[in-house]
Amino acid sequence: MSIEVKNINKSFESKKVDQLTVLKDVNLTIDDGELVCLLGPSGCGKTTLLRLIAGLDQPTSGEIIANGEKVSGPSGDRAVIFQQYSLFPWLTVLKNVTFGLEMTTGNSKEENIALAEEYLERVGLIEFKDSYPHELSGGMKQRVAIIRSLLNHSPILLMDEPFSALDMINRHKLQEQLIEVWQRFENTIVFVTHDVDEAVFLADKIVVMGRKPGRIDKIIEVGLERPRKRESKEFILLMESIVENLDMGELDKKSLE
Amino acid sequence: MFDNYKNKFIPLILPICIIIFWYLITEGLGIVDLYKLPGPITVCQAAWILILNGKLLTNTVDTLVKVFAGLIAAAVVAIPLGILLGWYKTLEDFASLVISVLRPIPPVAWIPFSILWFGIGMFPAVFIIFMGCVFPILIYTLDGVKRTDKVLIESAQTLGAGDRDVLKRIMIPSAVPYVVSGLRVGMGIALMCTISAEMVGSGSGLGYMILTATSLFDPGTTVVGMLVIGLIGIVFDLIFTKVQKRIFW
Ligand SMILES: Nc1ncnc2c1ncn2[C@@H]1O[C@H](COP(=O)(O)OP(=O)(O)OP(=O)(O)O)[C@@H](O)[C@H]1O
Ligand SMILES: [Mg+2]
Repeated sequence: MSIEVKNINKSFESKKVDQLTVLKDVNLTIDDGELVCLLGPSGCGKTTLLRLIAGLDQPTSGEIIANGEKVSGPSGDRAVIFQQYSLFPWLTVLKNVTFGLEMTTGNSKEENIALAEEYLERVGLIEFKDSYPHELSGGMKQRVAIIRSLLNHSPILLMDEPFSALDMINRHKLQEQLIEVWQRFENTIVFVTHDVDEAVFLADKIVVMGRKPGRIDKIIEVGLERPRKRESKEFILLMESIVENLDMGELDKKSLE
Repeated sequence: MFDNYKNKFIPLILPICIIIFWYLITEGLGIVDLYKLPGPITVCQAAWILILNGKLLTNTVDTLVKVFAGLIAAAVVAIPLGILLGWYKTLEDFASLVISVLRPIPPVAWIPFSILWFGIGMFPAVFIIFMGCVFPILIYTLDGVKRTDKVLIESAQTLGAGDRDVLKRIMIPSAVPYVVSGLRVGMGIALMCTISAEMVGSGSGLGYMILTATSLFDPGTTVVGMLVIGLIGIVFDLIFTKVQKRIFW
């Protein structure tokens, strides 16, 4: 499914100023099956833009079209993986994973469970199927949340810094798993990050955002072949050029070292 | 192991001291007149008599039946109402003033009306208990529903859940711990209300037993009644603690 963001402005009521403009004149086209990263410093409106695409918030002006239809509210077509952990604490891992299936498909219970178990098996979480979220580590929770959305076959996945709380090894592992899954399901992914390395590793297209007001500064097509190698010359050059060209402010410069 | 033993023993020290002190100032040294404060031996004798003639059991059961009837009636009204008000903001605004006015009225203030409306016997008492616990349960439930984590609601929505699914599968489960807290608070209030209610419009129950014993110059029975109420409180508290431990979210 393609996404079109047209002339979006978003402001919030604010006590200090009358209107706090968070996004100004944002235009963006995301093609069907594309993996796009929104990259920018903290506070530039990445989460805000993602929430608008999800339909969880409404723009002040402009419109968003997903698959030819105007976005007016949340839908199972656009799954969101939030920056915070979002598993349902009173459900086991298995029941969390089948939640979406029960909402969107007419499958029998057995079918749903079989499907969920298959996926949990694949990411090595099958032993935890009867555990509750509070018994999992952060990375495990995020993996379960991703499976929960994937299983739903949402054609669009909106991911808000899902791996930012993880250590580097786990982050890299999950990035690879994400690429695998995306290649198999061919869904459209919008992935928010403030980590240049992550954006270059994942994206077909990097949308670089700036702030005050939040806006799109530049769109970079990443032509690197997959599977991408972090140590390759092209990878490093691209990262350097992104970092140099931008007001990196609070961006994660460490990822360059 | 020693620690464990110590932890179980510590709460018992103060009650034992109190009983010894109590014995000394009453029956032991006779500092306080027995008609002002009965001693522990008098109380034990009274308890023994009440156990033998079965009055302790019947009165306790009688009080418990009222407590449960009132609490269950309150829960049946307050929990669905709380969920409804938590779900529809407009309805909450609509009802808020009435709730705010009724809530601070002490349950015993309803005693005159309860007698007028329900006569004597069990029903006026149940009504007073109902009035006492309906508001805490309502407020806790309402609060629990409203406090549902926004991220969980939005996750469910982006997984394809409609409004009803969000209510049934997200807001209600997430309110469960609050509802249990409400029931716990309600239970405490119910116990207090019952005793007061029985002292006025009733011919049975622990409250009635306490009051009649006092007028019959039988202070031993009065103290037995008080202690039984305390014990019931402890038992319920233990049960609720167990239940709350099982609700881990
Ligand atoms: N509901 C809201 N009400 C008022 N202001 C808001 C609201 N949500 C976001 N903002 C403001 O909008 C700006 C952008 O916020 P947003 O969460 O989109 O940033 P972000 O790019 O996701 O940052 P981070 O990388 O730290 O997550 C911030 O200045 C924030 O204070
Ligand atoms: Mg954010």
